[in-house]
Amino acid sequence: MERLEYLAKSYTQAPWRRQLQLIGLFLLFLVLAALIAGIYLNVSAKTAIIGRDIQAKQRMIESLDRDIEDRTARLASILSVAEMEARARKLGFEQVQPEQIVYLKLPGYVERGAAILAPYAQKTVVSAPVMPAEYTESLFTWLRRQVPFTLSRLSEARP
Amino acid sequence: MKGVDQYWRYSFVGALLCAAAIGIVLRIIGIQADPEKLKQLEAQIEQVTKEQKTIVPARGQIYDRWGNLLAGNKKVYEIGVELQDVEDPQFIAHAVSMIVPNISYEYVFTMASLKPSPSAVYATLTRFAPQEAVDKLELLKKQLEDEYAADGKSAPSLRGLIYKPHLERFYPEKALASNILGFVSRDNQGYFGVEERFNELLSGKVRTVMMPTDPNRVEEIPEVPNGASLVLTIEREVQLAMEEIIDDAVAETGSASGTLVVMNPKTGEIIAMATTPRIDLNEYWRLDEVFPPGSKIPFNRAVGQAYEPGSVFKPLTMAIALDTGAVTPDTVFVDTGSIEVGGIYIVNWNRGAWGPQDMTGCLQHSLNVCLAWVATQIGPNNFYRGLQAFGLGHLTGVDLAGEAPGRLKAPGDNDWFASDLGTNSFGQGVAATPIQMATAISAIANGGVMMAPKIVRSVINDGYQYDIEQRVIGMPIKPETARTLSEMLARSLEKESSDALVPGYRVAGKTGTAEIPIPGQGYTSNQTNASFVGWGPVDDPQFLVYVWLEKPSTSPWGSVVAAPVFRRAVEKLVIYLNLPPDDVRRRLSSSN
Repeated sequence: MERLEYLAKSYTQAPWRRQLQLIGLFLLFLVLAALIAGIYLNVSAKTAIIGRDIQAKQRMIESLDRDIEDRTARLASILSVAEMEARARKLGFEQVQPEQIVYLKLPGYVERGAAILAPYAQKTVVSAPVMPAEYTESLFTWLRRQVPFTLSRLSEARP
Repeated sequence: MKGVDQYWRYSFVGALLCAAAIGIVLRIIGIQADPEKLKQLEAQIEQVTKEQKTIVPARGQIYDRWGNLLAGNKKVYEIGVELQDVEDPQFIAHAVSMIVPNISYEYVFTMASLKPSPSAVYATLTRFAPQEAVDKLELLKKQLEDEYAADGKSAPSLRGLIYKPHLERFYPEKALASNILGFVSRDNQGYFGVEERFNELLSGKVRTVMMPTDPNRVEEIPEVPNGASLVLTIEREVQLAMEEIIDDAVAETGSASGTLVVMNPKTGEIIAMATTPRIDLNEYWRLDEVFPPGSKIPFNRAVGQAYEPGSVFKPLTMAIALDTGAVTPDTVFVDTGSIEVGGIYIVNWNRGAWGPQDMTGCLQHSLNVCLAWVATQIGPNNFYRGLQAFGLGHLTGVDLAGEAPGRLKAPGDNDWFASDLGTNSFGQGVAATPIQMATAISAIANGGVMMAPKIVRSVINDGYQYDIEQRVIGMPIKPETARTLSEMLARSLEKESSDALVPGYRVAGKTGTAEIPIPGQGYTSNQTNASFVGWGPVDDPQFLVYVWLEKPSTSPWGSVVAAPVFRRAVEKLVIYLNLPPDDVRRRLSSSN
C-alpha cells in the first residue's frame, strides 16, 4: 500500500511526465487534423478538377451541336438544287424530255415515299432480357417460393 | 491580489466573447426573420457564386418533301472586346474593320477605347461575323505573334478581342421557295410564310438559368430541346421548275406579277407555290428593295392577295347549277348577246351573240351572258350557299402566315345588289386568292370532296415524327356532278384546241380574263388579270395547276398568256411526278 502511494506521489511530482503527455496528445490532434485537412484538400481538388472537366465537356457538347448544325447547312448549300443542276450540266447531263422517257412496269418496285427523318411516335416494346426473380427477391421470398415448389417435386417423385 | 486581478481579466475577456457570440446569433436571427434582407443577401451571394446562362435552343430545320434542307442554321460569331485586356484599340479597329464586313473603323475604335469600369467590362462589336472573318483574325494574331516574337519587338496587339460562336438562320436554297418559307430576323423572330406561322414551334423555348461558377458545385446544364423541325409538302425540283416557268411567263408577257400553284387535289398537298417577286432569304434586310413599304405587295401573292378571278370562276357557277339541278349539260341557252340581271346589262367578252349553246359550249366560249342566266336559274340563295360551301369569302387555313380572306358579298349584305348575282357568276365583283380558287376547284377535280390545302406534311418534335393528317373541309357538290363537269371542261378545252392541251395527257381546265376595277371608277382600265386553272389526268387527277398573270401587256387574254403557262407547267410536272401518258398508264394497269 505504501509502495503504491509512493509511486503515485513520485509520478505526480514529475511535471515533465504530464507535459510530455500533453504534448503527445496535442501532436496527435495536430497529425489527425493535418490528415483530415489533407484528405479534404485532395477530395475537393479532385472534385474541382472533375467539375471543370464536366463544364468543359458541356461546352464541347454545345460546340459540337453548333458544328453539326453548321455542317448540315453547308452540306445542304453544296447539294442545293441550283448547285446540283449546274454540276450535272457541267458533267454533260441534260434535262429529259417527255418523248425520251420509257415507262416500264417493274414487279415489286416500291415508289419512294416522303422523307422519314425520325421514328414515328408509337408505343415501343423494349425487347430487353427478363431478369430472373432471384436477382430481385429477398432471401425469405425466395424460400417461400422454393419450399412449396420443392415439396411438390418431392411428392411427385414418391413411388 | 494578483489572483483577483487575473480573475477579472479572464472574466472580462469571457464577457467580450459571449457578447460577440450573442451579437452573431442575434444577427443571424435578424437576417432570418427579415425575408427582404434574406432575399437581398441571397441575391448578393448568387451574384458572386453564380453566373447567368441563357440557353437558346437551335431553331428547327425545314425540309422539302424528300428531306432536302430548305432552312437550317449556320455558325456565326459575336466579336467583342474585354475592355480591361485591351492594349491597342487602334490596331484592333484596323484589323476588325478591314476583315469583318459592314463594320467601321471609327465604331470599333470608339468601343475598344472605352474605359473599363464595374458597369463597363465588355463591348460588343458585331453579333454576326462569319466564320471566315474569325479565321482571318486568328491567322493575323498568329502571324503577329510569330513575327514579333522572333524579333523581340513590341507587337501591335489584338489582346482583348474575343469571339463567341452562336447560330444564325441559313437558307441553302437562297431565294427558292422564299415566299413559302418566310425568314427569321436576327432576334430569332419568324416573318411571313412557314417561319412566321410556326414561329413558336420552330424556335423552341429559351431558358435562362443560374449556373455556379464554383467548380466544386458544378451543376449539369439543363437540357433544352431544340425547336421542332418541319417537313413540307413541296418538292424542291418542282418548285424550282415552276419558279422558272412563272418568271419566264412574267418576262414574256410583260406582266406585273405571276403566281403559279400546284396542288394534289386528292390530298390538298401543295407541291409547288411560285410567285413573284422573291428575295434571297439570307439577305432578308433587302426586303424593302423588293417589297417597297407602301406598295402593298404581299410577300406571297398566292395566299395574301385577293383579286377578281374572272372566268376561271365559271366552273364553280356551273358546278352549283348542275348540282342543284338548275341545268343539265344538255340544257340549251340561246345567247342573244346580252342579258339584264338586277337592272344592269351583261354582255359577252367579244360583245357578240353566240346563238344556241349547250352548257359545254357556254364554258368553251366563256359566255358571260350564259353564265349570268345560269345564275338566275340557280337563284341567289342557292348560288351564294353554294359559293360559301366552296369556301369563298373564308380563309382556307393553309399553313402560311398572311392569308387574305377574299370577299364574297351575299344577299343581306349592305353592299350586295341584285345585279351582283349576274356579275358574280362569271367572277366579277368577287375577290379570291389563288389558294382559295385552287382549293375550291380542287373539289371538282376530286369527285366533289374538298381537301384542306396544306404545306406542312410532318412535324419532328422531341425526336419523333408526326404526320399532319389530311382533312376534308367540305363536299360542296355530288361526285357525279364533279365527274360531269370535269368531262365538260376537258371537252371544251379539246374543242377549243386550247394552248393548255398537253400531248398524251387528258386535262380539264378553264381560262379566265378579268378586268381590273379602279376604286370609285369601275371597270374602266384596259388592264386585266389573266388566269388559268386546270387538272389532270381527268380520269385520275394527280395535279391541279392554277396560273395567274397580273396585268399582262402582250395580250389581255387568259387563253393567250396563261394557258401556255399551264401547258409548260404540266409538261414538267408529269416528268417530276412520274406520270406516264394516259395510254401508257392504261396499258400498264391493264397488264396487271
